[in-house]
Amino acid sequence: MIYIDIIILTLLAVTAVTVARIRDLWAAVMFTGIYSFIGASWMLLLDAPDVAFTEAAVGAGISTVLMLGTLALTNKAEKPSTSVPVVPFLVVLGTGAALVYGTLDMPHFGDPEAPVHQHPNPSFVERSQPDMHGLPNVVTAVLASYRGYDTLGETAVIFTAGIGVLIILRRDKRTAPDEHSSDEVVT
Amino acid sequence: MNSFPIIRIVSKLLIPYILLFALYVQFHGDFGPGGGFQAGVILASALILYGLVFGLPAAQSVAPPWLIEKLIALGVLVYAGTGVATMALGSNFLDYDALEHHFLTDVTWGSQTLHVLPSGQHLGIFLVEVGVGITVTSVMLMIFYCFAGRNQSSE
Amino acid sequence: MIVLDIISWALIVSGAFFSIVGGIGIIRFPEFFSRLHGGGITDTMGAALILLGLMFQSPNSLVAIKLVMILFFLLVTSPSSCHALSNSALAQGHWPELDTTRKSKNK
Repeated sequence: MIYIDIIILTLLAVTAVTVARIRDLWAAVMFTGIYSFIGASWMLLLDAPDVAFTEAAVGAGISTVLMLGTLALTNKAEKPSTSVPVVPFLVVLGTGAALVYGTLDMPHFGDPEAPVHQHPNPSFVERSQPDMHGLPNVVTAVLASYRGYDTLGETAVIFTAGIGVLIILRRDKRTAPDEHSSDEVVT
Repeated sequence: MNSFPIIRIVSKLLIPYILLFALYVQFHGDFGPGGGFQAGVILASALILYGLVFGLPAAQSVAPPWLIEKLIALGVLVYAGTGVATMALGSNFLDYDALEHHFLTDVTWGSQTLHVLPSGQHLGIFLVEVGVGITVTSVMLMIFYCFAGRNQSSE
Repeated sequence: MIVLDIISWALIVSGAFFSIVGGIGIIRFPEFFSRLHGGGITDTMGAALILLGLMFQSPNSLVAIKLVMILFFLLVTSPSSCHALSNSALAQGHWPELDTTRKSKNK
């Protein structure tokens, strides 16, 4: 039914604009969680429960908690911008216009003659039953077996993100008491 | 949160349930929605809930930071190690069919043969998802430790 | 069966009604604690009724048992999250505004 699609897409757009425009950072983090939740509902409407599950767990769950943890360390509100950003606006406008011009050539949504439905997908769905010896979930079969190298790259990306956070933020237990005592001595 | 008994009791009631659900999602990825990423996030959120309710030192005694740092690398090692194992067994990188009969797959009891371990694809997907789950859990938990620990040591 | 469908319809529509009423209450109430109270109760009630309505539509008993587990989880976590919110508000010094005193005790 098209009305649910229109309502959920409108909510997505309104939430995205609110996240960009609001200045109170606590509310912005909450709206990011709401955006992830509505995005997960939208993916469920498109018949993709695996992706919806991952989006709900990561976006509406962990990401909100970690961003709230970050907010405890930074300012509570964004500073108001002092100048009108003309050049970024023109860059965004140009890029958006180029992308919209590019979508004019794309096939219609859900067209069975489209190349994305022709080449890998039917063969994956047909091949997965005899290949996988009875593994019912085609999504896991594609993710972990047919395209397992990409998933290795994703895991490496998560690993790199964790290493990056560790390098920037970790405090050794030995140095923290020394810094604290030196602050007390100086002040 | 030491003076809020309701939240402590509710967390003690629910955290085993959440951990069990994380394991269910991890190993049920073959049959329904699930897999390593979702299970890792749910497991990390259970441990973060424990850290929020009972204090950061209690969470760090359950999951110590030095162990979590090692586990971050262990997950990627398990994943890539599966690929190297398939290469060592003569096939391409991450070609799970090479794992087919190199382990104890058939146990013969008298006249019956039991398939103890699953086929090569099942085994390969299982190992790979375990690797992904370990890495995702450890990274989320480590990020939480970094943020929460920094706040405590800076005030 | 038509009886199961009617029961499911009644439960899901009443659950949706409670959720909408809770949403209106969150917007229209004047003060934090009354908003939390109205929102928390109707949110739990609406979600529980919707889950009960879905239970009558389940094709086999495994799906119904999973829905019972989700219902149990929701009935435990939703009121305790409201409790945690109100406790943290009180711990920050934000007291409820009473009718008897025109000047609230907000610090």
